[in-house]
Formats: sequence, structure tokens, C-alpha cells
Amino acid sequence: MLYTLILLLGGVSSYFGPWWTIAPVCFVSCFFLPRKPVPAFWTSAFASATLWIGYSIYLHLGAQTDLTSRVAGIFTAGLPALADVPAIALVSIIAACVAGLIGGFSGLAGVKISQLTRPPRG
Amino acid sequence: MRLIKHLWPLFFALLLIYTFNRSWGVIPPLGKLFNPFVGFLQNAERNPDRGNGEVALEGLHGKVTVWYDDNAVPHIFAQNDDDLYFAQGYVIAKDRLWQMEFYTRVAAGRLTEVVGPGALEYDRYNRRIGMARTAAAIADRLKNDTVANRILEAYAAGVNAYIRQLSDKDLPVEYKLLNYKPEPWSSYKSILMLMNMRHTLNGGSNDSRITNVLAKYGPDVVAGLFPDYPAIESPIVPQGTPWAFSPVAIPAVPDTVTAPPDTGLFAFAVPEPHPEVGSNNWAVSGSKSATGLPILANDPHLQLTLPSIWYQMQLSSPNVNVYGVALPGTPAIIIGFNKDIAWGVTNTGSDVMDFYRVRFRDSTLNAYWHDGAWKPTIRYTESYRMKDGSQVLDTLYYTHQGPIVYHKKQSTNYAPNIPVGYAMRWVANETDGADVLTFYYLNRATNYEDYRKALTYFTAPAQNFVFSSNGGDIAIVSNGKLPLKWREQGKFLLDGTLAAHDWQGWIPREQNPGVKNPPRGFVSSANQFPADTTYPYYLDWRFAHSSRAIRINERLDAMVRATADSLRMLQNDNFNVDARRILPRLLVSLALDDSIRHSAEYDALERWNYRNDADAVGATIFESWLGDLLRGVWGDEFPASERLLYPSLDRTFELINHEPGAKWFDRVDTPDTVENIDDIICSSFKTAMAELRERFGEISARNWAWSNVKQTRIMHLVPSFTSFGRTNVMNGGGSGVVNATSGTHGPSWRMVVQLDTDWPVAYGLYPGGQSGNPGSKYYDNMIDRWAAGQLDTLLFMKHADEQSGRLLRRILLTPKDR
Repeated sequence: MLYTLILLLGGVSSYFGPWWTIAPVCFVSCFFLPRKPVPAFWTSAFASATLWIGYSIYLHLGAQTDLTSRVAGIFTAGLPALADVPAIALVSIIAACVAGLIGGFSGLAGVKISQLTRPPRG
Repeated sequence: MRLIKHLWPLFFALLLIYTFNRSWGVIPPLGKLFNPFVGFLQNAERNPDRGNGEVALEGLHGKVTVWYDDNAVPHIFAQNDDDLYFAQGYVIAKDRLWQMEFYTRVAAGRLTEVVGPGALEYDRYNRRIGMARTAAAIADRLKNDTVANRILEAYAAGVNAYIRQLSDKDLPVEYKLLNYKPEPWSSYKSILMLMNMRHTLNGGSNDSRITNVLAKYGPDVVAGLFPDYPAIESPIVPQGTPWAFSPVAIPAVPDTVTAPPDTGLFAFAVPEPHPEVGSNNWAVSGSKSATGLPILANDPHLQLTLPSIWYQMQLSSPNVNVYGVALPGTPAIIIGFNKDIAWGVTNTGSDVMDFYRVRFRDSTLNAYWHDGAWKPTIRYTESYRMKDGSQVLDTLYYTHQGPIVYHKKQSTNYAPNIPVGYAMRWVANETDGADVLTFYYLNRATNYEDYRKALTYFTAPAQNFVFSSNGGDIAIVSNGKLPLKWREQGKFLLDGTLAAHDWQGWIPREQNPGVKNPPRGFVSSANQFPADTTYPYYLDWRFAHSSRAIRINERLDAMVRATADSLRMLQNDNFNVDARRILPRLLVSLALDDSIRHSAEYDALERWNYRNDADAVGATIFESWLGDLLRGVWGDEFPASERLLYPSLDRTFELINHEPGAKWFDRVDTPDTVENIDDIICSSFKTAMAELRERFGEISARNWAWSNVKQTRIMHLVPSFTSFGRTNVMNGGGSGVVNATSGTHGPSWRMVVQLDTDWPVAYGLYPGGQSGNPGSKYYDNMIDRWAAGQLDTLLFMKHADEQSGRLLRRILLTPKDR
């Protein structure tokens, strides 16, 4: 439920908002759909990462030119060990790390602040 | 405590957003860049050819139709000239915004703002040679020129209309990687683009290095080794052409011709001229062509970059219909054709950059001695903003000559109160004229008279403008401001205290070298001497090596019933005139050494047909050896550490062919032995072959193929974006052959125009693509065809409603109601 919500809300709002839109989406989702902190973190992180990776792969596959390799090449220029890793995999890993961290901690923040405003009964 | 426990994830999330929102050193902002909704993947084009569109733009007066053809070339049809240049700016910005802005930052010395302090010395140099200051003065003056101001303003408005439309996700990918945003465009920036070109074409000097030669060896050696005209030349104006004018008085040569530095240690960081920046152009008359009308060809040689320096387009309004290439950032077509005429340019390359030793009154640098009086310097403070917002200040002094590029104070034990520096007089800092109007009027020209009138607006640096018309005329003129000099003025560093060393005015423009409809039936240029020694004025003591010119003129001389394809083949001609001139003599010496004579390298060289073809092993051996040969002959007497200029190729070849006993062949660093020409030739050959074997392995048809050794590459303007460039472009050529493709430089646009009384047929292409976006299929799509020597047939439309299967989509630009 939370996973799907973040994916849907995140997808729509990222289309219009700034690059960090996924953060308020995770925050708000977790604020209103309370979870335990650890699952909230991981669900937010995975949903955010899925969104970024999924759309990245969609754009990558639909493109006529392999811009992904060109951009990845800038990052791997001095790292021959990474030369054989497919560029889209590298891009996905970086996207997953960035989105996962930001989404995860935003979700966690949402739960924590929701706990602060609505102290658990009993 | 409970508060901290509950709030820390929020702060940590905010910290992460901050971290990924900004760049850290060379690491770009990872959040912005890798978010697929706004990041670089938004630049990966799905199908650029699909979809007509309509865009409403504030500032347009009427509708403008833009057709894109199958090579992504825009064909712009406007109802008036203001809209035409507005649309030109809009359309170029759409494809090349980052590139054009980048060039202006280079010319203005503002790279530190986007790449950081690593660019400071480069910026400082560009500011200190005065480009930004001059561009500002020109832009300011052109505000009063109704025509120039109008097109520059319309163009800037078009670029800005595009910039205003851009959202973050639409930014060119370089902005995302370097984390900055475009600034508004202005006519000043268009002038900066032209300044950048002035610098590229004329921003080098040998004056200090030949002055060092003079100081070390004296005037006789300079006269012997550095003559003012080569032994073998084929000048632009054919030998024997009478000069149809009475020259003005030429200034007398003063007693003192140079003011060398007190010490060779001062910082004189002016780059040497780049011999690979050159160009070819020619036109054959109807008497030589199959159609009975002129055919014109041009290929300017520049550093090969992505995005390309040129952008193809057609510009059409009720007043003009022209096709060709534009410089991104500058209005009008720079090289092209219309229904009636075609034109092209090569660099003239005469000496228009001189240095004057300045005598300051004291260490304040407030006054300098000139013509018997102390005169005040003008002082400017240049400030450089770093990427992090910090500032660096630098003081720059001008004399009446121009900026003092570098001044290095003497060491404390050496007249410390009188710092010595050199002021630079450079034609690129002239602020009169309006180069952009030359192109504006050429775009509209219909005959020879229009062409000559258009040329009068051009200032610098002088270009050899080749011309042809369907009226049957062909012509070429070395056009631009040429200083009136005494013989050899500026061959050496000059004395800033002497009025006689100032530039003495200008050669009257109509007396610049030029020729119209010569009896030989063709005109041509390849940066060689514009005229032979009968020309009354001194232009320079050295121009580009004559090899390309000789080959072009030989081929054109022999040509009958020429077609556009004959000219295309000449553009791709790989014949090495230097090899023909010198190799037979070199082989004689090589054969004296048994170990060489029996080597596979000697065999390949002897069997070589003098063509720098892609698969030629002989070309590899000859070209790789030439540098070692020159070092072998000159390296001992003219060591690089002493910053001494080598004599030219022409002089060296003459020495080898005709003066084998010259003392220069004996190495001065081996006092016990006397080397002769054979020793130098054989030892340099062995050195060169050892280097080749080390780099490419034992000789083989594949590893030693010229294309494999030359390694032509076309790299992105940001050097560290190596993956945005193309390497291993396999082709022949060389800097001394007509197909002047070296490792990094080459024909940046090839064009052949066959004029017709009805409608011209034209061919062209450049090593890149129309789009500046590395995520577009039009980023580098022409490179392979270029390397193969092909040309595209250019679609020159008569009107906006013309039908053609090559037109893929149409964008309608309409005025937006305010």
C-alpha cells in the first residue's frame, strides 16, 4: 500500500516538481500511513529507488542514442575497472543510492514526526 | 531528547538533499543529474524527427515557418528581416545554446565562474589580451549603426525567447553536469563570438622567438635562414598580375628595428601560431567548368570539436534567401551561397600582432616613455569570480598600443624600478568596422559589385574572401584591415619608445591583394603568400607553408570541364607535395646506410606513392620522421630551451636539396666529430623509426597505417568530457596536404557550390552534427561521411511551400499577444 502510494504520488509529482520531490512525497505518505520506523524507511527507500530506476530504464530504452554511456563515461574515465559494467547499471545504482537514501530518511522522518504529533496510545 | 530522537531523520533527509543538490569539486550534483525526471536522461532524444509544432513567441511580428530536413538542417522562412534574425537566434539556441554561451565565456575570460579556479590562468590570458574590453566597445559603437544593431538585437531577442522557455529538465546536458544556468544573450555576446574567432585565427606570434634568434646569431643569419619570401611559392594573386593602383608612400625603415628583452627569462606566454589552423578555397570560372558557369569550393580548417563550430541553415525573407553555415551565437550566414553568388573564406594570416617594449617611468607603471615624452598608461582592474563566489583581482595596463599582456618585474639586483613588459598592438582589438555587416550584405549580394561593397565592412583578421557569381565572375581578395608597415616591421619585437615603430596607418583597402577573373581561369587560396615580391607593401615575412597551395594550383591548372565532383575530389586530395620535393634526396642518403637500406621501413618509404591515404604506411614513416629530421638539423643550434624559432620547412628543404654542405648540418653539441647531411638524415630516421616501433609495434600494414598513427579525434569542448567525443576517426590527410586532416584539426566544413542561371546545386557537410546534444542522433551523424570524403547534397528551397521528401517536420513560430 505505502509502496504503491509513493510510486504513484512520486511519479506524478516528480513530473512537475523539482528533483527532490520524492522527499516530501515519502514524508507525507509515511506521516499519514503510520508504519514502524524500520519498515517505513525500507518501503520508502525501495519505492523511491524503483521510481527512479524504472523511469531511467524506460528513458534509456526509448532513446535513439546511448546518452547513458556517454554520461557514465565521464564518471568512469579514470576507473578502468568499471569500463565493462553496463552504463545503465551504473546509472541505476547511483540513482538508487540517491533516491533510496533521500526517500528512506524522508519516510523515516514522516513516521517519527507523526509519532511526535500523535503519541502512541497506551 | 525526545525531540532530537524524532527530528533527526528530518534533518538528515534535508542534509542529503543539500548534499545531492550541489556540486562538490568536479563531482556534479548527483541528485539533479540522476533524477530521470529532470536529469541527463531527459536529454536522451526519443524521436527528434517526429511532430510538427507551433510555438508562440513574444517579440515576433509575423509568422515564421521553420522546416527541418533529414539532416536536421532548419530552413527558416520569415516575412521580414527582424523576424528572420529573431528566428535564427531562436533556432540556433535550440540546438547549440550551451556551446555558444561557452565560447563567449572563453572570450570574456569568465570560465572560472563555471569550472572553477583551474581556468584562472586561461581566463587571465584572455582578459589580458583585451578581447572582452574590445567586444564591449564594438557592441557599444554598433548601437548607433541602424542595420547592425537591428540584426544583433533581433538575434539576441530570439535566443532569449528560447532561454525563457527552458525549464530545468530542458537544459542542455552540459549545464546539468557543470551545474549552472544560461545567462541572457545580448549583442555584446554575439560580438564576443566573433572575437573568439579573431583569436582562433590570429592569436599567435613568433616575434619573440625570432627576436631571440636575432640576438643570438645576428642579422646575417636571420637574413639567410629566415628570408622574407620562400624559395618555392604559388601566391594567391598569380605571379605576373599587374597591380592596377599607385601605392601610397611606404614608411622608411628606421635605424633600430627591434627592442629585445633584457633577459630571456621574462614571462612571454603568447602562444605560437597554430600551423594547422588554415583553410582552402577556390573557384573555377566557366571556361574550366562543365556547366560553363563558375563552381566554388571552401573548406576552413579549424580544431575539430563537438559540438561543431559550424551550424548549417537556410535563411529566407522577402529580402534574402541564403544557405550555408553560421557561427553559433552570430547572426547571418558566414560561408554559403544564394541564388546568384557563392563565397568562402580562408585566413590571410598576415602579421597583425606586434609587441612593443615599454619603458615605464617608475614602478607605479603610471607613465611610459614614447616619442620623447612621458605618457600616462590606462589602468583597469579585472575581477574574476570563482565558482564558489569568491573573487580574484588583477590589474591590467594599456599603452596607446594596447594591453601590456604580461609584465614581469626584474629581479631585485637588476634595475628594480623599471619593470619591463611589452604592450601588444593587435588588429583584433580594433573597434571600427562591423564584420557582421560583411556577412549580412554577402548574404544578399547578387554580383561582383555587391561583393566588393560587402567586404568594405570587414575589419579583422583579414580573410581571403573567394567569390563566384552566375554572371560568370570569379574573384578573391585578401580583405580586412592591413597595417601599413615598413619592410619587416614587426618581424621582431618592437621598441615602444619610438614613434617610428607605431603602425603607420593602413594599406588602402582597395589596394589589398586581390584578383578578378584571372586568365588562368581559377582563383584559389590556402593561407599562402597573398602576393609575390612585386606587391608594394610589406604584409609578413612568413605565411603558411606553400605545399597545399602548390597542389591546389597544379590540379586546378590541369582541370578541364570541372564538375562539382572534381572539386570535391580536390578537397580530399592526399598528395604530399613535400614528399615529392624532398623524399628523393632523403632516400639517396638513407641508401648509404646498409642497415636502413635493407629495412622494411626503407622499403615501404621507397615504394610510397606520396599520398597520405588512410592505409599508407609510407605516409606514416614520412610524417613521423619529418619532426625528427627538423630537430636533427636545427635542434642543436636552436634548442627549444632557448625559445628559438626554427627556420621554415621551405628553407630546410632548400638547404637539404641545394646546400648539402651547409654548416648547419654539423652538430654543435659534438665538437669532436663533423656530421654531414647524410649523418643527420640517417640518425633522425633511426630515431623516428624506433619511436614508431615503440608506439605501434613492428611495421605492419595495419598498425602502421597512416590513419591508425594519425588518430584523428573530434573531442568535446570540455576536455574532461572525453566520452562525449569521437576517437579513431579513420581517414587520410595531413596538415601539409589539401585534405588537411591532422590528429586534432581539419576541414571543419566542406562546401562545393555549382552556380546556375536558374538555381544553384550545392554540396556540403562538416564533421559533427546539427544538434549540440550528445543525446541526439544528430550530434555526430556526419562524421563518418566526412571521414569518407563524401558531401551531402544541400536542400536549398525556393520558398516555404516547396515540396520535398527530405523535409521531415515543420515548426511554426507565431507572435504571442502580450
